[in-house]
Amino acid sequence: MSGRAFRLERVSRRFGEVEVLRELSLDIACGEFVAVVGPSGCGKTTLLNLLSGHDRSSSGSIAREGRERMVYQQDGLFPWQTVRENIALGLRDLKDPAERARQLSDLIELIRLEGFENHYPHQLSGGMRQRVELARALAGNSETLLMDEPFSALDYLARIRMRHELARILHHRPRTVVLVTHDIEEAAQLADRVVVLTERPAQIRCELAIHQPRPRGLTDPEVVRATDRLLVELGIDGDASRQTSTNYKE
Amino acid sequence: MSQRRLNVRSILLPVAVFAAALALWDGVSRAGFFDKSALPAPAAVILAFGQEIRSGRMFNDLVTSLFRVTVGFLIAVLLGIPLGLWMGQKLAARTAFLPLLNFLRNLSPLAWMPFAILWFGVGDASAIFLICLSAFFPVVLATMAAVANIPAVYFRVAETYGLRGFEKLVQVTIPAIMPQLITMLRVSAGLCWLVVVAAEMIAGRDGLGFAVMDSRNGLRMDLLVAEMVVIGVIGVVLDRVLERLSRIPSVRWGYER
Amino acid sequence: MFRSSATRWILGTAIFVTGITLLRYRPWHPPTREAVATEGVVRDSLTVGFLPVTCHLTCPVTDFATRHSANTRFDSQRFTDFPTIVESMKGGRLEASFMIAPLAMKLREQGMPVKILYLGHRDGSTVMVRKDLPARDLRDLRGKTLAVPSKYSNQYLVIHKLMDDQGVKPDEIRFVELPPPDMPGALAAKAIDAYFVGEPFAAKAELDGSGRVLYYAKDIWPHFISCVLVAHEKLIRERPSVVRDLVRGIAESGEWAETHRLGAAKVAAPYFRQDEALVRFVLTQPPDRVSYRMLTPTDEDLGQIRDMGIKAGILERRIDIRDLVDRSFIPTDIKAANIDAQ
Ligand SMILES: Nc1ncnc2c1ncn2[C@@H]1O[C@H](COP(=O)(O)OP(=O)(O)OP(=O)(O)O)[C@@H](O)[C@H]1O
Ligand SMILES: [Mg+2]
Repeated sequence: MSGRAFRLERVSRRFGEVEVLRELSLDIACGEFVAVVGPSGCGKTTLLNLLSGHDRSSSGSIAREGRERMVYQQDGLFPWQTVRENIALGLRDLKDPAERARQLSDLIELIRLEGFENHYPHQLSGGMRQRVELARALAGNSETLLMDEPFSALDYLARIRMRHELARILHHRPRTVVLVTHDIEEAAQLADRVVVLTERPAQIRCELAIHQPRPRGLTDPEVVRATDRLLVELGIDGDASRQTSTNYKE
Repeated sequence: MSQRRLNVRSILLPVAVFAAALALWDGVSRAGFFDKSALPAPAAVILAFGQEIRSGRMFNDLVTSLFRVTVGFLIAVLLGIPLGLWMGQKLAARTAFLPLLNFLRNLSPLAWMPFAILWFGVGDASAIFLICLSAFFPVVLATMAAVANIPAVYFRVAETYGLRGFEKLVQVTIPAIMPQLITMLRVSAGLCWLVVVAAEMIAGRDGLGFAVMDSRNGLRMDLLVAEMVVIGVIGVVLDRVLERLSRIPSVRWGYER
Repeated sequence: MFRSSATRWILGTAIFVTGITLLRYRPWHPPTREAVATEGVVRDSLTVGFLPVTCHLTCPVTDFATRHSANTRFDSQRFTDFPTIVESMKGGRLEASFMIAPLAMKLREQGMPVKILYLGHRDGSTVMVRKDLPARDLRDLRGKTLAVPSKYSNQYLVIHKLMDDQGVKPDEIRFVELPPPDMPGALAAKAIDAYFVGEPFAAKAELDGSGRVLYYAKDIWPHFISCVLVAHEKLIRERPSVVRDLVRGIAESGEWAETHRLGAAKVAAPYFRQDEALVRFVLTQPPDRVSYRMLTPTDEDLGQIRDMGIKAGILERRIDIRDLVDRSFIPTDIKAANIDAQ
């Protein structure tokens, strides 16, 4: 668990004339949960692609350790494969069929989809699909999860439920996580550290550490405080918006 | 319950429409608006049908046409799909071949008829050639377009989970285009059936198309209608059979989104 | 899931393909054609093309006559149109066929080495008019529509000759090209007023009661020729004895058909796939509607056809008739073929 999962040093990424990332430096420790927030179009997906190795930086260096797996916003599952087949994709390295079957049923149990093993993705709800993706990414012995707005296609309640699920599952299967999200609450509730990016060309505007141990509740004081901070950092008046949201809740 | 009722209805309604069409036909032919040789009565057609069945000619023509369609279609599919897969993956191949393929696709297979006869004579070979021609280009183009439009995310996932080469082809590329492939197979099989009958009409010595032409030359409208009925029924059966392809569980996703 | 479905479908397809191929070729049947003579020597055989018209009647009759003969076996192949015959000959898959005379000339003109060996018939075409028209000769058809099988047909040429004779100008009759099988129907539906075609497509309208005879071909042009027996020079060069058998077979079948008209109708109807009554009607009502004697082509007959063809614009050159005709295979003693029509 010691050591670094990622080290970015002065990483820039340019698409022709468009400079997306500028001299970004970031260390991510093994086992750490980092959330990345920032304005739309600032380069969050680009950053994830650099981390996963699907994209190359224009300059700067990226060091990574361990195997990463990506969870997509939606439709990352193979629609022509059943839940079981999709998850088994993550277990391809296991040679022993008995062991593979055991792990498969463990994972299905973990995401609470017993009885849906032979369903196809189009027969599942959005939340169920995201859980299958999660299980596929967690299967086998990968070390890092890269998640690009994994819950953004879900409705609010499902999103909150999925947050709990993610926290619970990570408790059973600890991983290094980089989570890109628009949802500040989500970042505050799940992450050890939140990285706030500026407008394009993106730089790190600030980093916010949240010390309370996971899992956390939505209304834990530290989470609420962090949410406020993030709103301010993103240029939205934290207090004002909190007022309304508190009023709303009471 | 309602499922069952739906099924019963989905059989009864078309049967009723067919029966009504038959009754209308019978009525018109009895009313005598047309000469007997211009509109044969259903009874005469049934008689002719029985006669053709007994002589074995109907069966022979049917087998002949089906054989030609099956072989020609299979050749087209077995050549066309791999070519389409290759072109779908290689932009350069696409750029190079697409204009030519589009050009060839727009030529009616029947325009090739004289060449088919010159090169292959009158018989199975020329009919199979024409069938093959009529299915080949649509198959290649549809496969190619389908492959080129596979969402990139599937290939990224494949890469992440270590699917490469043949495994990637069988587990990702082909399943990803299956729904379009099946639709395309149905369409081009229908096309083949049209073409074989037309091709046999223009040249041949057996097959249903030839039988139609021959009945016409023989001034036997009753036979001709019997053959038309068989052609239509086989066309429907062909499509029904291929329609079952889309019921394969692993391709349902393509029809339910 | 995909795997097992795929296996099922591949298996099903394989079974279907095997089944349909077996049904198509029936390998368990011995070859249907009696290619082997009694002594076990391979008999010569030759495929000859024809259309189901009574002008070509001697072709299937010869086929019928040589089914069991010890000499060459002639296999008559029925076509549905002339272009297919021509393309099959060009492709080298058909070496002898019946065809309309101007078409043979056109082929020769285009450089295809074919020769006219013999005639298929004399007469056998008829001008039909709608029963309700009072027309008595061609002059009464001024302003009317007359159908012919094609511009390359002798009928088209001959009707122009008759128009000339009667002083009808070329544009006074409206010509349309129609496939012969459609002509009786078109006449009945009054889509056309008259048509000129080879039998049995004229007789059909007569039998149905929608048309009546205006002219038999013999009234316009005695011993009218429309179709001839054509062979590729390669066949003549390489298998002269087969060609000799063929011409003799046609001649003797013709002689037999001339004298056994009921039998000829019975033999030919299945080859034509036409109603026997219709074929019988053509051959007997009246008996001289079509004739299968005097089948030696004369230079004069063919020259006249050629000149009419040039005049009508369907031929371009005055080809030498002596190059076109080969009379060397025509037998001098023609006796009726020995055919048992039962
Ligand atoms: N392949 C590419 N070619 C050219 N420009 C690109 C490419 N990919 C991304 N960009 C540009 O980079 C910028 C950042 O894109 P990116 O997808 O990383 O944004 P994001 O932060 O993920 O936005 P969102 O929150 O809306 O998902 C965009 O302005 C886009 O125009
Ligand atoms: Mg993004």
